[in-house]
Amino acid sequence: MKILGISGHYHDSAAALVVDGVPVAAVQEERLSRHKNDAGFPLAAIEWCLDHAGLSPNDLDAVIFYEKPTLKFDRVLTGLLQGWPGSWRSYPKAMKNMLGEKLWVRGLIASQLGISTRRVRCIEHHQSHAAAAFLTAPTQEAAIITADGVGEWATLTVGTGAKRADGSSEIRMLRELRFPHSLGLFYSAVTAYLGFTVNEGEYKVMGLASYGQPTRIAEMRRLLRPMADGAFMLDLDFFDFLGKVESGYSSRFIDLFGPPRRSWQPIDLRSEEGRRFADIAASAQALLEEVMVGIATNLQRETGLSDLCLGGGVALNGVANARILREAGFGRLFVPSAPGDAGCALGAALYADRILFRQPHKAVPDHPFWGPRPDEAALLRVAQEDGIPVVANEQLIEDVADALAADKIIGWVDGALEYGPRALGHRSIFAAPHDASMRDRLNRDIKYREEFRPFAPVVAAEHADRFFDLPPGGARLARFMSGVVPVRPEWRSRLAAITHVDGTARVQVLDREMEPRLHALLEAYGKRSGIPVLLNTSFNLAGEPIVNTVSEAYSTFRRCAIDMLVAGNVCLTKQRVARAQILENVA
Amino acid sequence: MGAPSLQGDPPREAAQPGRGTAYFGDVLGMMLWPVHRLIWADPQRRARKLLEFAEVEASGGRDLVRAAELTNDPVLRARYLAHARDEARHADMFRARGRALGKEMTGEGKEGLADWMAPGERGMEGLDLAREKDADLLAFLHLSESAAARDFARYARVIDKDPATRILFQRILHDEDEHKNYTRGELGRIAPRRARRVLWWARLRRLWKAYLRFATFFAGMIAGVVLTIQYFVLLPPFVWLARRNARREKPGWIGVGERVAR
Repeated sequence: MKILGISGHYHDSAAALVVDGVPVAAVQEERLSRHKNDAGFPLAAIEWCLDHAGLSPNDLDAVIFYEKPTLKFDRVLTGLLQGWPGSWRSYPKAMKNMLGEKLWVRGLIASQLGISTRRVRCIEHHQSHAAAAFLTAPTQEAAIITADGVGEWATLTVGTGAKRADGSSEIRMLRELRFPHSLGLFYSAVTAYLGFTVNEGEYKVMGLASYGQPTRIAEMRRLLRPMADGAFMLDLDFFDFLGKVESGYSSRFIDLFGPPRRSWQPIDLRSEEGRRFADIAASAQALLEEVMVGIATNLQRETGLSDLCLGGGVALNGVANARILREAGFGRLFVPSAPGDAGCALGAALYADRILFRQPHKAVPDHPFWGPRPDEAALLRVAQEDGIPVVANEQLIEDVADALAADKIIGWVDGALEYGPRALGHRSIFAAPHDASMRDRLNRDIKYREEFRPFAPVVAAEHADRFFDLPPGGARLARFMSGVVPVRPEWRSRLAAITHVDGTARVQVLDREMEPRLHALLEAYGKRSGIPVLLNTSFNLAGEPIVNTVSEAYSTFRRCAIDMLVAGNVCLTKQRVARAQILENVA
Repeated sequence: MGAPSLQGDPPREAAQPGRGTAYFGDVLGMMLWPVHRLIWADPQRRARKLLEFAEVEASGGRDLVRAAELTNDPVLRARYLAHARDEARHADMFRARGRALGKEMTGEGKEGLADWMAPGERGMEGLDLAREKDADLLAFLHLSESAAARDFARYARVIDKDPATRILFQRILHDEDEHKNYTRGELGRIAPRRARRVLWWARLRRLWKAYLRFATFFAGMIAGVVLTIQYFVLLPPFVWLARRNARREKPGWIGVGERVAR
């Protein structure tokens, strides 16, 4: 069967194509449209997926949308009714938003693709998350937790999944928490309070948390109250999800924690105000971890299963993931490369294939590389047009390792684009991980971002334990950079650029089979430095999506302090570009 | 920093917008002078607007980078990248000044009714860059830069009690003039015979986009009024039902029970 999965209309739209039970293409709309977190209908992503597979919309057996718009409308309307008359400002906005396009998504998809609405189906949001987490994971039976802001009504679900010997698959949802009691919305409200953009700045809160102490956790517990059955409830006096959709916190929240940070105000961690924000971030993070570990522990005891699959935006919280793995009793924790809404496109397609159409289970290749491939010839052409000498060399790995050892920063484009928010070695910026000055240089000259945000390392799997204190199952969690683990104390000073203030790192543990070229680069660099670890950050500038094509990589390279751009076997170095730029300016 | 000159001086007419447009702009400027003075008088609003301008400039810079990535003309690629660097620098300048002014701000800054009358650059106005031809894009950019230059000149004139912000506008204005000139020059280079026609077409498209903005705003306003009336007239009976259901639903886990997906 040929099944197209679509997610969109909220944030981070995407499309994914499954043919005969196996994914063949998946890409986020933002990577093609070049608008970060593009929430629009993912037409470009759909077109690319179909082109890549050589299909037309009429060849599709089904198109699956990742949530049920009518249930979502029900939730929105019910919330507005419950908030009457205080919700009068939100009502027109919400209705225009829902009735304009979102409610008629089946018709919209059918008209955009030119197919019958009968071929378009919707499944529940958390079913999509659960399928994305479980059906892509190399496990036969697992407990499943999905947690995010909100889907239709559910905000957090627990259940189990099984792939049976007869080829059938099953996802059993046991129970759920419903809106407005949401761990994701709680964390998003804290994100907004700390002056970061919701659905974008949550990982900044996690980074900031390491600089603070959870001194405000007692107050946080007034907001989010754990319950006897392991669930939790939000005290809605502190939140305003209807009136202040962008921020979500109420004036009582401000009364409790003090004035919020203004979005443009820099965080000075040496100031009392900066420390207050860091402590609030630390307290929210600690409470989120506590709740997630509690829910996971209960689920493990209840199911007796040793594997856990985690999906939803909350699964992007690597600190919480690592704690779950250490403390909840599971042996392995699987987080897909795209646990957020973008990943739901693939989840929805797989769910339809295995569950709705009862197709036999097939193992999903265990990598995140489902997007477009770079065109090295295009880089050659652009460089030629700009008069920049290019080196095309089959033995580039050694040259790149030399450059890294000489403290050069490398822009690396290789193979199919990653699906998900992390750069896992196909659209990455690499640098030597040893000196803190490298971290400062990257923050100042390339990423233009806050000093409290850490950089991640990538290490070959066979060396991971030497440098990082991985818990049992930690290598699996770190496959897609989904867990934050301690850097071994004896290596922290020599891995200063990737060691966060609390001695941890969000490491990627790389198997040779998943990405042999990057593995070879790590080995080559290890021979030179004695430490086969590289700093690996996404290939983009602040406010931009990760690059997709070589043209985008080239323009990024031209605009920042990356020293060398490598696309496949083609390489450009900055000295040559600098000379060309000087000539341009003189002309 | 202006864009590098690769093709010599632009045509003479390039340095100035059409006479009719300039006249219209001057008259409009005189009419709006008191409004602009009012808008820029309040330091909090000034700070907020500068921070907004910073975002617009940064976004415009990203659009120019995209244009550079998509064009097949190496000269335009260099121009766009240089232009994008300028826009990023403008964003930094606006942000720095906005932050400096905003140190005493108590909130995110007040929004006023007349606020929309003092826009920053409009950038590419949501153009689909992948579908635009180089000439059309240059014409659009030229008009956008011309409008921004006119606006920034007006703002610089009314901000007489804040010399630092005035100087900031004057410095950016200098760059906008450079951008205006290079876009006209490049348009003359790549479409020498139809440059005027392309410019007029771009003017019409800008007018159409302005109409669409207005129409969308107006339609949104009408919809808002109708929906607000509906909210207060039709919804109250359902409010009772919704609240009753809410009282019945206990927080905590809700069993999904038999809902097994196989």
